[in-house]
Order: sequence, then structure tokens, then C-alpha cells
Amino acid sequence: MMRALIVDDEVHARDELSSLLRETGAFTLVGSCADAVSALQAIRSGRPDVLFLDIQMPAISGFELLSMIDDAELPRVVFVTAHDEHALQAFEKNAVDYLLKPVSRERLARTVERLRLAPADPEVATRLRAPIGRIPCQSGKAIKLLDAAEIEFARSSEAGVYVVGPRGEFFTELTLRVLEERAGLVRCHKQFLVRLDRVEEVRLDDGAATLRTRSGKDVPVSRRLLPEIRGRLGI
Amino acid sequence: MKIAIQLVEVLAVFVVIFYLYCRSPAFRPLMPDWPQPRGKFRLYVVFSGIAILGNYLGVPVVEGEAIVNARAVGSVLAGLLGGPVLGILVGLTAGVHRVTAMGGAAALAGAVATTLEGGLGGLVHLWLKRRPEVLMTPGVAFVTTLLGEIMHMGIVLLLTQPHSRAVAVVNAIALPMVAMNPVGAALFMTVLLERQREEDRVAAASSERALKVAERSLELMARGFRPAVASDLATIVREETGVGAVGVTDTLRVLGWSGLGGDHHRPGRPIASPYTKQALASNTVVFADGIRQAYDCTVSPSCPLSSVLIVPLQVDGTVVGTVQLFEPRGRRFLNMNRSLGEGLGALLSSQLLISRYQEQKSLLVLSELKLARAQVNPHFLFNALNTIIAILRRDADRSRELLIHLSNFFRKNLKRSSDVSTLAEEMEHVGAYLEIEKARFEGRIVVETDVDPALATLTMPSFTLQPLVENAFKHGVSSLLGEGRVSIRARRRDGAVVVEVEDNAGAWQGPADGAGLGMQIVDKRVKNLYGSAYGLSVECTAHELTRVTLRLPAEEASPA
Repeated sequence: MMRALIVDDEVHARDELSSLLRETGAFTLVGSCADAVSALQAIRSGRPDVLFLDIQMPAISGFELLSMIDDAELPRVVFVTAHDEHALQAFEKNAVDYLLKPVSRERLARTVERLRLAPADPEVATRLRAPIGRIPCQSGKAIKLLDAAEIEFARSSEAGVYVVGPRGEFFTELTLRVLEERAGLVRCHKQFLVRLDRVEEVRLDDGAATLRTRSGKDVPVSRRLLPEIRGRLGI
Repeated sequence: MKIAIQLVEVLAVFVVIFYLYCRSPAFRPLMPDWPQPRGKFRLYVVFSGIAILGNYLGVPVVEGEAIVNARAVGSVLAGLLGGPVLGILVGLTAGVHRVTAMGGAAALAGAVATTLEGGLGGLVHLWLKRRPEVLMTPGVAFVTTLLGEIMHMGIVLLLTQPHSRAVAVVNAIALPMVAMNPVGAALFMTVLLERQREEDRVAAASSERALKVAERSLELMARGFRPAVASDLATIVREETGVGAVGVTDTLRVLGWSGLGGDHHRPGRPIASPYTKQALASNTVVFADGIRQAYDCTVSPSCPLSSVLIVPLQVDGTVVGTVQLFEPRGRRFLNMNRSLGEGLGALLSSQLLISRYQEQKSLLVLSELKLARAQVNPHFLFNALNTIIAILRRDADRSRELLIHLSNFFRKNLKRSSDVSTLAEEMEHVGAYLEIEKARFEGRIVVETDVDPALATLTMPSFTLQPLVENAFKHGVSSLLGEGRVSIRARRRDGAVVVEVEDNAGAWQGPADGAGLGMQIVDKRVKNLYGSAYGLSVECTAHELTRVTLRLPAEEASPA
């Protein structure tokens, strides 16, 4: 049994696909999500093997969502969409398959075959890496889309990852590794990333350092990473 | 005294001749061609003639040795108008004529004096050249001639031998000549100025009329060359030119008529007049002055019209019709109206060209529209079908209803027979679309409609409302993570009808983001039909609201 996660903004589309998946007998459904943030949560908690992903979704498209998934957590992807205009792009992203809505049982059976035959490709992840423009954050019950350029630094704690900018700090489902690789942030500490062009002040302190960002927040630099940060800042 | 009266007669004859000259076709409005050699030559001939005439009309005194003359008028005026060279040449010509053709003791002195007077006029011309409004006044002509005549007397005294005779001559001629010549010159200048002013007035009046017709006809012609426009056009041209009647035809029949003979020159009648046929066939202006060539109405023997000017209207070199100006028997066809009529032909033709261009543009809009309608949005269709299939699992009745809505929506999309719909029909079309979208975005979208029931029969171009609502979904609420709201309102406001489609996404990016085409077509069609006061406007507050407002005429303005 493959663990499957459905991501589609339309409730009827999710219902229909989950019925179809159940009928194949090949999947255990770990979740059915309507937006990117809950999808990232479900991927982390449900560890799906296959993602059935709609491309056209509000605020964050299916393609954007893929960029936000940590390589370590990335399932195999089947795109499910109403129109084939994105087919080429989908296969460039190394999707296992591409389903057109409405989906027929016969067509879905072929997808199941493909998933069973095609081995997981470790190269896929690197090909999915596209820069992230907006970072989805939890803000109360709503989802806030923070401009990646606005973020001064990111930190991880036991509670999770927070991105911090002049407007405050926001919880995000993205991992530090994703932010480092695709959102233009630089690792300066095991638990911190910083955007170097937002650094205004560097205080050296016994082999380590503290950076002050434009909005006056302090970010620690570890001894191990200080030489690299100094090199990149040219000091 | 007798001499003075004779001299007054001479001046009267002069003024009459000059007046006639000014009235004749040989007279040209003064300023423009003076500086050219041709203009100067014409002035030389005219004023030499006047000066020589002054010799002949003069009154001999002192046993024929001298002539009380008005020669100076010619040479001084020539100098004033044309400069020293012209003045001296005219003076010299008249002087040589005086010496050779008439003789007498004072002849030589007179010839020299006249030449110098021409030179004096020329000097005044040079002095005041930059201030023509001062130069061209009767006062300047008077003073210059007065000085010239006093000088003339001095020269007679100096050059005439013996001295006693000179004194006798001056005694006889001084008073009448010094008194009369300046008056004559001033009179000439007055006549000349009057004539010029008249010319200016006529020119101003015709350009004013032409501009007025242009202004009044522009909007009319923008609607194209058709019968409804033709009668209004005929009325405008008649009112502005004041002719007896104006007709407008296409290449086959009368389209519009205004004025005399309207009882039998009815719109719709085929063209009968040979003049009109000639104008149409040759693409030239045809004029029948009513005297040498008369307009004979072929329709009614009691037709009062006798003269006509027929001006062809053309677009891209092809004759599309004529404008005809008529005068009845007993009224002369004014030259001014003739040139005005010809000018109007050119003006209306260029307005037609503009309207033809507009028309082609709107045809293009129409074909774009057909294309847009025929283009089924694949996302909408397949998502709708997917939704219906999903619902079919649990609720067969609801999916049946949705399928019927979907068929209604596409049926309306494919129907192209009528170009105009009522608001009720548009709302029905939109309603089918809304039912599908509400099902697709179940639980995420709220739609409110507030349409004044009194507006149900309001007409608009068909397929107007749907693109606006589709835009509110496609480029509006479908991009929202939270709840989406779409409101459709229609009501009267400020004497117009305002239809608003509003969404709470605030995602409008301007016409460049692809949302444009459908809405642009709506805007173009509404403006084409009702004028630029109507059409679409979009307000957007980012992330809060996009409001598309459609203004339509409240009264059922019948589309032209």
C-alpha cells in the first residue's frame, strides 16, 4: 500500500479523487489538503509516498508548493489538473504522471502501475529546486504570504521554524534547509539563517559574532561559520 | 472756383474708376502678393493708369501752359503701397506722358514734381513699413500728398521760365491742386481699405461657417453614412449656408433632404437628375448656375429650385454619395456658398473616412467577440465536469441540475443570432455560470445579487455581463485562500444605469494580465453603441476589493 496525499483547492475534486484512489485498493490516504500550508504540515506528519497535486491553486500553485518541500520529505508527484497546458512543465519537474480531470478509473490504474514500476529517483529533488518568492506563514488562523525579500533572518526552535522581518516574526512550515537553498538566506548558525544584505552591523565577540539587522534585531553567528560569513560580507 | 469744381469732378471720376477696379476680378486682396514682382508690376500698371488719367482729366489753365491735375494721387499712392522704386517709376511714367503727349511751359516741372512725389510716398512707405496699420490710413495718404503738392508748387516756381509765368501758373493751380489731391489720395485709400476689410469679413464668415458645419457634423458622420444621418446632415448644411434646400444622396438614391421641395424630393427616391449622375460618374463638382445652365427638377414641374451645386463625397477615392446645395428661382447662388459647398465636400469626405475606419475597428471587435465566445475556457469546462462527476456519487439530482445549468450556459455562449440582450437574459446567463462556480468552490464563495427588478428589460450588447462575472472569479476570488465574495448590483444612478461586479480579492492587475481581452471587448462594444460616456471602469484596492463598473444609458437609446 502506498501512502497518498491529495492537494487540491476544490472540495469536490478532492472527494472524487479520494474515492477513486480508494477504489484502486493501492493507496492509504494520509490526508486531503486544500492549501499549501496544510499540505506542508501533512507531508511532515503523514510522510506520504505519493502526492496527488493540483497545479492551479490560490496563492501558491502546485509548482510553488513543490519548491517548498524539504528534499528529505519529498514524495513522488502525480499532477492532477483540468487542462494539459502545464503538462510539459510538469514532466520537466519529473512528475511520475500527469492526470487530467475528470480522471477515469482506467487511467488511474495505469498511474498505479507506473508508481509500482518506477523506482524513486534521488535526482528528482534537485530538479525541483526553484527559487521561492513568497513564503507561506501561519498568522493566527489565516495564511500570510511573506515576500522572501522582506525576511531578515530565520530561526528554528523546538516549536518549529520562524521567519523574522521588520513586521515581526512568523511561524512557517518550511525547513531551514529549504529556506537556505531556495529563499536566498545564508546559514550563520546551526539554528539561524540570515539575509546578508539586511545586515547593518557586525559585532565580533571572542571568535563568534552577533549581526544586527536593519530593523535592529540580533542574529548570532557561530564560531564555525564566522569565517564564511566574514568572507561573504567582505570584512 | 470753376477750376475747383472741375477738379472735384475729376476726383469723382477717379474714385468711381478705382472703385470699379476694386470690385473687378482683377483686384486681388492686397497684402500677399505685393512683394512679388508680379504684384509690383500689377500695381505699376494700375497706378500709372490712374496718374495718366489724372493728366487727361486735368483742367488746362494759363493758356494751356499748365494743367490743374490729379496725377499726384497715382504716384503718391504707388509710392505708399509699393515703395520708392514703384512710386518713382509711376511718377516718371506719368511725367513723361505729361511732357510728350501734352506739353506746355509747366510740363517739365510737373513731370519732375510727380516723380519726386512718388519718391516721397516711397520714403513714407519705408518709414512706416513695419507698421502697416499706420501706413495704410487715409490720414497718411492725405498728409503725404499735401506735402508732395506743396513741393510740386515749389518745383514749378524753380523750373518754369520765365519766372513771371511760373508765378502765374502757381497762382492758378496751387489752391485747387493742394486742396484736392490730398483729398483724392485719402479717398482712394479709404476705398482700398474698405474693399480689403470686406474681403476679410467674407473669408472670416465662410471659415466660421465651415468650422460650424464641421463641428456639428463630426459626431453625426462618426456614425457612418446612412439614411438616419443624412437628414440631419442636410439640415445642418442648410442652416449653416442658408441656401434654399440641401440634399444628401448615396450613389443610387436620395438619403436626406432639408428645405424647399421637400414634398417631392423624398428620401428613398432614386437619383433622377443628370447633374447628380454626372457628379457621381466623374467624381467632380457640378454647378448649374440657374442662368446658363438650369436645374430642371425631373420629379415635379412645380419645383421651385433652379440652381444647384453638387459635391461628390468620397472615401478612399471611391464616390459614395453627394451633397447638393440648391437655390430657388429668383435667388442668385452666392459665390461664397459655392466655395463653401466645395470645401464642405472635402470636409465631409474626410469625416467619412474617419467613420469608415471606426466602423472597421468595431467589426474587428465583433469578430474578436465571436472568437472569445467560441473559445470555451477549458479550465472552466473540465473543472465543472469534474465537480459534477464528484457530486454524482452522492447526489444524482444535484448533478443533474448542474448539468442542465452547464448546457444552458454553453447554449447561450454559442447562440449568436441576436446582438442585444436584456438585463434579465444576461442575468440568466450569468446565473448558470454562477451555479457551476458555486458548486466548484463550495463553501469558499458567497455570491450576492442586487438587481433592481425595474431594470429587467434594460438592453445592452449581449454577452456583456458574463465576462465581468467570469473575471471576478478567474482573476479574483479563485485566487483567495479565505472566503471569497462576489456581488452583482444593478441600479439607476445619475440618470444612467450602473451595473457593478465586485469581488473581495483585490487582485486586478490592469488589462495587461490577460483578464483584459473579454472586458476590453465589452467596453469597446458599449462605447461603440452608446458613446464614450458609457462603458467600463475598474477600481481596485489591492487585497481588498476589485470593482468593475459598467455604465449604460438609462433610457432605451435606440442604437443607431
